[in-house]
Amino acid sequence: MNLSDYYAITPLVFLVCWAIFLLLVDLWIPAGRKGITALLSAAGLLIALVLVLRSGEQVLTAFEGSVVVDGFSVFLSVLFLVSALAGIALAHDYLQRLGLERGEYYPLLLISTSGMMLMTYAYDLIEVFLALELLSIPLYILAGFSRLNLESEEASLKYFLLGAFSSGFVLYGVGLVFAATGYTDFPGIAKAAQNGSLNPTLFLIGAGLVLTGFGFKSALVPFHMWSPDVYQGAPSPVTAFMSVGAKAAGFAALLRVFVVVFPGMSVNLTPLLWALAALTMFVGNIVALVQSNIKRLLAYSSIAHSGYLLMAFVPYGNASVRSDAIAGMLFYLAAYCLTTFGAWAVVIALEKAEGKGLELEDYAGLGHRYPFLAATMTIFLLSFTGVPLTLGFWGKFYLFSTAVEGGFWQLALIGLLTSLISAYYYLRVVVIMYMRPGTPQVQRNFWPLLTSGVGALAVVILGIAPGVLLNLAVSALLKGL
Amino acid sequence: MTIMQIIFLITASVTLFAALMVVSTRKMMHAAMWLILVLFGVTITFALLETRFFAIVQLVIYIGAIAILIIFAVMLTRRSMNADVPQVNRNWWLVMVSSLALFVGLVTVMSVWEGFFVTARTAPPGGENLVQLGTALVDPNGFVLPFEVASLVLLAAMVGAIYVAAERKEK
Amino acid sequence: MIFLEKNIADPLLNLAPLVILFPLLGLAINLLLGRRLGEKGAGVVASLASGSSFVISLLLTLSLQAHPQAFTLPLFQWISIGSLSVSWDMRVDTLSTTMMLVVSGVGTLIHVYAIGYMYNDVHHQGDVGRYRRFFVFFNLFIAAMMLLVSANNYLVLFVGWEGVGLCSYLLIGFWFEKGKDGIGNARAAQKAFVVNRIGDFGLLIALFMMFWWFGSLEFERVFNAARSLAPAQQGVLLAMTLFMLMGVAGKSAQLPLYVWLPDAMAGPTPVSALIHAATMVTAGVYLIARSQPLFALAPAAQGVICWVGALTALLAATIAVGQMDIKKVLAYSTISQLGFMVAAVGMGAITAGMFHLITHAFFKALLFLAAGSVIMGMEGANTVAHHHAGNPEEEIDPQDMRNMGGLQKRMPLTYGVYLVGALALAGIAPLAGFFSKDEILVSLWDYSLPIFLLLLLTSFLTAFYMGRQVLMVFAGKARSQAAQQASESPKVITIPLLILAVLSLLGGLINLPGVATLEKWLEHTVAMPEAGHFSPAIALSSTLLALLGLALAWVLYGYRSLAKLQQSDPLANYLGVIFHAVQNQWWIDSLYQRVFVIPYRYISHEVLAQWFDQETIDTMAHDLGRWNQWFARVLSYLQNGFVRTYGLVVLLGVVVMLAFLATR
Repeated sequence: MNLSDYYAITPLVFLVCWAIFLLLVDLWIPAGRKGITALLSAAGLLIALVLVLRSGEQVLTAFEGSVVVDGFSVFLSVLFLVSALAGIALAHDYLQRLGLERGEYYPLLLISTSGMMLMTYAYDLIEVFLALELLSIPLYILAGFSRLNLESEEASLKYFLLGAFSSGFVLYGVGLVFAATGYTDFPGIAKAAQNGSLNPTLFLIGAGLVLTGFGFKSALVPFHMWSPDVYQGAPSPVTAFMSVGAKAAGFAALLRVFVVVFPGMSVNLTPLLWALAALTMFVGNIVALVQSNIKRLLAYSSIAHSGYLLMAFVPYGNASVRSDAIAGMLFYLAAYCLTTFGAWAVVIALEKAEGKGLELEDYAGLGHRYPFLAATMTIFLLSFTGVPLTLGFWGKFYLFSTAVEGGFWQLALIGLLTSLISAYYYLRVVVIMYMRPGTPQVQRNFWPLLTSGVGALAVVILGIAPGVLLNLAVSALLKGL
Repeated sequence: MTIMQIIFLITASVTLFAALMVVSTRKMMHAAMWLILVLFGVTITFALLETRFFAIVQLVIYIGAIAILIIFAVMLTRRSMNADVPQVNRNWWLVMVSSLALFVGLVTVMSVWEGFFVTARTAPPGGENLVQLGTALVDPNGFVLPFEVASLVLLAAMVGAIYVAAERKEK
Repeated sequence: MIFLEKNIADPLLNLAPLVILFPLLGLAINLLLGRRLGEKGAGVVASLASGSSFVISLLLTLSLQAHPQAFTLPLFQWISIGSLSVSWDMRVDTLSTTMMLVVSGVGTLIHVYAIGYMYNDVHHQGDVGRYRRFFVFFNLFIAAMMLLVSANNYLVLFVGWEGVGLCSYLLIGFWFEKGKDGIGNARAAQKAFVVNRIGDFGLLIALFMMFWWFGSLEFERVFNAARSLAPAQQGVLLAMTLFMLMGVAGKSAQLPLYVWLPDAMAGPTPVSALIHAATMVTAGVYLIARSQPLFALAPAAQGVICWVGALTALLAATIAVGQMDIKKVLAYSTISQLGFMVAAVGMGAITAGMFHLITHAFFKALLFLAAGSVIMGMEGANTVAHHHAGNPEEEIDPQDMRNMGGLQKRMPLTYGVYLVGALALAGIAPLAGFFSKDEILVSLWDYSLPIFLLLLLTSFLTAFYMGRQVLMVFAGKARSQAAQQASESPKVITIPLLILAVLSLLGGLINLPGVATLEKWLEHTVAMPEAGHFSPAIALSSTLLALLGLALAWVLYGYRSLAKLQQSDPLANYLGVIFHAVQNQWWIDSLYQRVFVIPYRYISHEVLAQWFDQETIDTMAHDLGRWNQWFARVLSYLQNGFVRTYGLVVLLGVVVMLAFLATR
């Protein structure tokens, strides 16, 4: 038995063991003191974070090449671990307030996170599929975590049914790729594709089906329909975690699989990606215009952001643009993570039991009553819009410029126009916060406030010096993809 | 026609029929039962293909665990599921057309592939014995990672089922 | 991250970021805890922050003495877009440390002064809460200025450039609700900002050109690229340097953009001293000195700059002669002296320009602060008089020199230091101004005779208006009750004055003819043509002219001092219309108003706002909005909440996708 295989995925192994350990420990923690579980799980995440960062410079390969730990995995693993930390920070007080305090939340969150991490390590389609399931199943449960709340239960069921539906497509796609090439591991498939010893149509159809599954996780139109309902129904901390983690995991899989496995297919896949990106940007932004519920608004905004991300990926077949595109996407994902958690922290501060406090009108007067919250929310919304000198601006800038570089200026134009539209609904919230009179009620819990404060600070500072983050993304890719 | 082929044909038609029943029966509980039959049919198909590993996995995981979970879920949510609503909605034709298109398309695509007509290789003599299978499941060069991850998936699903059930009890 | 750099001559140089961080720290403390620190506390914290910055600058200078070559400290990657990559580096070399020392040194003294001055000011103006705000802005200014002078590329420099502009705007409008019609100060701040924007626009274009032609914004790379490009593209370099000159004209108040500086005197006096005399306005001079390799490649641009500087110097000096406001005189004098510096660095005499920049920082800060002391004395007495007498006369303007006179006895210390500053400015040997001005004149003698003569004439005028001012303020009899009862200022104000006075006395030592300490120091950074040698003839003639100016002033204002309050200026009797013109700044301000401001307002309001925006654009936007909303409704109709619909959409999506792929 060779331990070096396990050594490569230490953070993952640790996280899983910690989750199981927490499941057991939680039995002895009395109800009402689940804060201990929260702290323990946060500690576990921090240790995992250290383990990830410790993983050194060299690229590790393990389990017969079905797992690869490189800069790409490390960058995204950090993103996922930070997301999970934010998911816990947002959850504890929220769960207590809404009478949902149950210890299972934390192990499930950890297991889902480990699925996301596995997604970044996976170098084999079977691994990819399993990672997809591993991250999804806890999310299905978490989406329905709000007990006795029909909306939450409905969200859970919808997510589960449609998720299973799309998993089926992925699995079918994996099967077809295997049938066409005889391999499931990336290098094997890539080699077969290079040799031409495969059936191109079958291979292409397989790729299309796999794309469907990733598109579902990342909420690309037309596989996005679940997301507004689920985002609205699920408990807000879960939504926040899902909208960052699941989306990033979907994109991680997309990046890895398409760049390593399907680069030769780009001629055929590019028009498809083009159409998906355009549709996603368009539908996400347009429908967000008429939303009056903040959670739905953020859901559609999240769809739109998927569109921007995909836009940069459209020229992925063009080797000279590819690394720019991936660096830009990693940058954007990090920016999106910071901004999203910050915004959801504000939403959570205003949310009350039974889905109250979530209408845009409930934000009236926030600017006068709670200037800190309103200011941070404004920063996040501006960053979402992509106003210059925020982090979001640089994110969009890099994405758009890769699209243009890759020769898809029409797509960049669509992106630009739709982000103009997005300014309307983002700024409407700002207007409501500052211009309308009202007496909003806010729960001032420490952790959500901290999350939004840290998020705002990061958005501003990195907005002034985006080079720091971009350098991280670029150097992550230097180690290879 | 060999015995194997006859068994296969019977299994296949039973599986298909059961699958049809899953979506057409009005009672959720019955649907779950039909589903177990479908899964069982797939198990037999694997066995016929002499891939015992998959047969066992199918039996243990899908019938042993997932089906049980589904039955749990169905029992627990019985009250909120009423059987009064119509079975089909007005979009049924659209679903029919697109499903058919998908099916026909996939079959056509596969039928142009030469591999479609190749007879399955028989497993190497004495190839897959249980010892080898057992080793493969815990060998880093074998299937240990997928196996462990799959078990983790199950664990998560179980926790979820228990969570849902526990809530109901409190209510 | 900062301290990781290994291959440095002296580890002390790693401290460089602290010159920016200390003021930021002071700012943060005042912002967060200012209310608890109390009034004096806020001022002390800010002064300490600035003082620490000075100490660090001193340490940097000392370590540079051993290793005088330029040193860059990379902080972090800032922007990377395509081929443009800008990193945030700090540059420590002899030029930048010289500026750092001036900024933090003079800055600290003015901070200390402001502890006393602003205490009075906020009580006099009636809003004590702004005391803390003042020091927050002041620290921010120091930080931004340090950023400007420590930049290693033009973009970071530009950030500092805009940062000091912002502070200038905020501090000019510090009492934004005061002034003429309640918006006078706000107007002045706006004017400064807008005029500076025009200059910044030029600088920005210069930056774009640099990036376009050289592909970099880093100093060394730009200079190297310029050297290889120069023979082929003379026009590009000329345009670039002239656009840069636009920025310089805005920031350093040169023709034709000088008009904002006199209005900027609306800010509290320490602001005028620090920002609008000693440091910020010299940023333009620094920019030219820093970009010397570029300008050296464009001799035509050098000529233009030199002429701009000389003409500005003369024009401003003539206007200064006719001003009645104590601070306005100093403001025009500042413009005039900046003209000297610009002319000097323009033709390439970097040492002379920088020398004058330093000495000017000393004596002009001194003059402004002493003027502030005078104003404070007048204001104090004014209020007291008011209080006691019940109603009597109308409250007089404490800045109008016609209301002063005889302050020599009431404020002896202020008088003494003012005299030192005035003589230094007038260029009387052996005070600081004499040496630096002389060096500029010497360099010009070799460069261009007409410009030399212009500046010689300006020196004469300088001596004259300074003599006029000193005599009007301090000599003769008090012309108002306030002047009669004015009292000397407290120690916190007079001690910085004394220090500055000593500096103005001895400032010439840093670059004595023959020893040339500063020149040798700066030569490590800036390549300079051979400097002109000290010439007794020129020194003698300029000193004689200065003495002549002082004598003339005495004849007009001292021999028979102004007696009554509203007596017209004696000069008006001799010069008539010309004096009227001078008093009204040659009507340049109203010319700008007619030619630029009023037509611009008309176009923006009537044409752009009314017709184009409200009628054309708004209608389009509304229609577009309605259209979008309709679209959104249609799409959300599909979002009906049923899983089966969602599943169907997914299925349809898959079918369409696969159909597309299958037919490829």
